[in-house]
Amino acid sequence: MIGYYISLAMRSLRGTPILSTLMIAAIAVGVGACMTVLTLNYMMSQNALAHKDDVLYAVQLDGWDPNEAADTANELPWQLTYQDATALLRSDIPTRQVAMHRFGFTITLDESEMRPFTADARITTADFFGLFDVPFLFGGTWNADADFSPVQQVVLSKATNDKVFGGENSVGKTINLNGEPFTVVGIIDHWNPSPKVYDLNNNPFADSEEIYIPFGLHRKFEIYSWGNTNGWSHSNEEGYEGFLQGESVWVQYWVELDTAAQKEKYEEYLTGYIRQQKEQGRFQRPLKFALSKPSEWLVLNEVLRDDNRVLGWLSLAFLLVCVVNAVALLLAKFLRKAPEAGVRRALGASRNAIFIQHLIESSCIGVLGGLLGILLSLLGLGGVRQLAMGRIDQIASMDWLMVLAAIGLAVLASLLAGLYPAWRISRTNPSIYLKTQ
Amino acid sequence: MLKMHNIRKSYRTDTIETHALRDFSLQVNEGEFVSVTGPSGSGKTTFLNIAGLLETPTGGQYLLDGEDVSSLNDRDRSRLRNEKIGFIFQGFNLIPDLNLFDNIDVPLRYRGFNAKERKKRIEKVLEQVGLSARAKHLPAQLSGGQQQRVAIARALAGEPRFLLADEPTGNLDSLMARQVMELLEFINEWGTTIVMVTHDPDLARRAHRNIQIVDGQVSDLQHGTVGAAREIA
Ligand SMILES: Nc1ncnc2c1ncn2[C@@H]1O[C@H](COP(=O)(O)OP(=O)(O)O)[C@@H](O)[C@H]1O
Ligand SMILES: [Mg+2]
Repeated sequence: MIGYYISLAMRSLRGTPILSTLMIAAIAVGVGACMTVLTLNYMMSQNALAHKDDVLYAVQLDGWDPNEAADTANELPWQLTYQDATALLRSDIPTRQVAMHRFGFTITLDESEMRPFTADARITTADFFGLFDVPFLFGGTWNADADFSPVQQVVLSKATNDKVFGGENSVGKTINLNGEPFTVVGIIDHWNPSPKVYDLNNNPFADSEEIYIPFGLHRKFEIYSWGNTNGWSHSNEEGYEGFLQGESVWVQYWVELDTAAQKEKYEEYLTGYIRQQKEQGRFQRPLKFALSKPSEWLVLNEVLRDDNRVLGWLSLAFLLVCVVNAVALLLAKFLRKAPEAGVRRALGASRNAIFIQHLIESSCIGVLGGLLGILLSLLGLGGVRQLAMGRIDQIASMDWLMVLAAIGLAVLASLLAGLYPAWRISRTNPSIYLKTQ
Repeated sequence: MLKMHNIRKSYRTDTIETHALRDFSLQVNEGEFVSVTGPSGSGKTTFLNIAGLLETPTGGQYLLDGEDVSSLNDRDRSRLRNEKIGFIFQGFNLIPDLNLFDNIDVPLRYRGFNAKERKKRIEKVLEQVGLSARAKHLPAQLSGGQQQRVAIARALAGEPRFLLADEPTGNLDSLMARQVMELLEFINEWGTTIVMVTHDPDLARRAHRNIQIVDGQVSDLQHGTVGAAREIA
C-alpha cells in the first residue's frame, strides 16, 4: 500500500508542477539554511579525542597574579610557564606527558632547487605522538632524551614529506631548519583533528603542524612561542634565560593518566608541587589547579560559542517559517483535491487511509526538498569557506551523518507541514463533495 | 439486505437545522431493483449516503445484512463499504488524472487484492461494460455515457452485493441513459441488489419497485407498484 501511496504522490506532484516546486523550494531553503548552521556547529563541537576522553587531561596551574585571577573560563591560565612545564616533566606518574607550543621554521634543502618556505612547527616532547594517537607512515619519534637535550631531529607531516621528498620514505635524510641541519626520524600519516583539541588557545580550526621538533632545543635556538604568550609580572626577565625562568605562560601541557589511582596520585603530586613553589615565594594565589578531559577542554575554551548556538536556534526558527509556508500551500493543494478524497472514501478508503496517503505525499515533498536542501547547504558551506579564506575548511564540510540529518530534518519538516492538511482532508465528510456534482 | 427503522438525519448550520430525513423506514430485499423518486431536496441523496455508510444517521436503526452498522467505527464502515457496496453518481466521479484501469483499480487497492487478482478483475469488468480497448485512456477522453460505464465497472470490480446509484443517468442523453439502464438491469439479473435514485419516470417504472421520498419520509411504504406511487403523487 505504501508503494501505491508513493506512486499516487508522485503523480500528484507532477500534476501541479508549479505548486510542487514552490513547496519543495520552501522546504529546501529552510533545510539548506538550517543545515549550513547546524553542520558548522556540529563540526565545531566534534571531539577528535573522544576515544581517549577518560585518560587525557589538559593541565592548568594557578601561578597567576596574586592580585587578580586569570581572565579565562575557569580563572586558570590556559598554559604553563616554561619552568613549571620542565619541572612537571620530571614526574614519572603519568603514562605519557606532553609539553609543547607552536613555532615556525624556514625549511631549506641542500643541493635542491626547492624554494625555501616557512612551515608551521610544533616544539614538543616525544610523547605527543603516542598521547594523541598520531599515526606514523614511516619511522617514529625521537628518543625521550631529546626532550631535555638539543637533538636536531624532526618528524614531518605527510604533506611536508610529499612537498620536500616527493612522498618517499625520507627517514635518515637531512633538511635544514633556519639553516641548521635536522635528521628526519619519522613521517606521520594524514592527521588533522578538527577542532584541534590539543591547541585550542590558538585557532581551533587551523590545520595540524607541518613539522615537529624536540622540546630540548629551546636554549640552542632561543625559541619563543609562535602561539600565545601571556604574562602578569614584569620583573627579572632578562635575556632568553630570564624569559625561560620568568612567569610568562606559553607552554601547553597534557598528561595521560590511565587509572583513577594514577590520577589521584598525580593530583597529590601537583598539590605538593604547588606547596613547594609557594615556599619559594611563587604561586601566591589560593592553591588551585585543573585537569580537564578533552571534552571539558572544548567547552572551557568555548569552541562552540554562544553566538553559534543562537544562530542554530535562529536557523531552526527560519525552517519553521518555511514549514508554515509549506502548510499553507499543502492545505490549498489538498483541499483542491478534496473531491478525489471523497470518491476514494466512497470506494472504501478509511479516514486513516486518506490521512496516510496525504502524509506520504507531503513526505515525498520533504525528501525532494531535503535533497535540494543538501545541495543548498553545500553551496552555503562553500560560501562560508570562501568567507573564512581557508581557515575553517575542515568544519565547513558535511559528513554522511549530516546528510542523513538533513534528509531527516526535511522529512520531519514536511511531515509537520503535512499533518494538519492531511488531517483536515481525512476528516472532511465525503458526501459533500459527492453531492455537489 | 437493508433495513432502516425510524432513521433521522438533520444538518445543523449556524442558523438553521435541516431535517433531511425523519422517521425514515424502509426495507430492501436481496436481489431487488428499487427505484427512488421524489422532489429535489427531499432527502434522496441523504438516504443513499446513509445506506452506503458515507454518513451516519442522527438517530434510528440501520441493519445492513442483519448487522447493526450504527455503532461501527470508521475503519469497519469503510471495509464494509469497500466489500459490500458499490456507488454510482450522477457526475460519474472518476478521478481525472487516473486512466480507466487505475480508476477501477482504486477500490481493489483498498480491498488488498494482489496485482494479479486486480488485473484480472479490472479486465473482466472493462469487458462487461464494453471498454476493454480504452483501458489506458483518461476519463476526459471519453463521452459521458462511456464515463458512466467506467464508473459502473469501478463499482462492480469488487463484486459488491449492493449497488447504490444516485441519478446515474441525470447527465446523459436518453440513448445513453437507456444503455446505462440496460447495464444496470443486466447486473441486477446476476444477483446484485440495486437502489437507484432517478428523476426519469420511465426508468423508475422499469424497477421492481418504486419508492417515493417526500420531505424526508417515504410516502408509500407498501410493496406497491409504480402506479400506486404515482396515484399518491
Ligand atoms: N451537508 C449538508 N449540510 C446541510 N444541509 C444539507 C446537507 N446535505 C443535504 N442537506 C439538506 O438536506 C436536504 C436533503 O438533501 P438531499 O438528500 O441532497 O436531497 P435530494 O438528493 O433529494 O435532492 C436538503 O434540504 C439539503 O439542503
Ligand atoms: Mg440528490
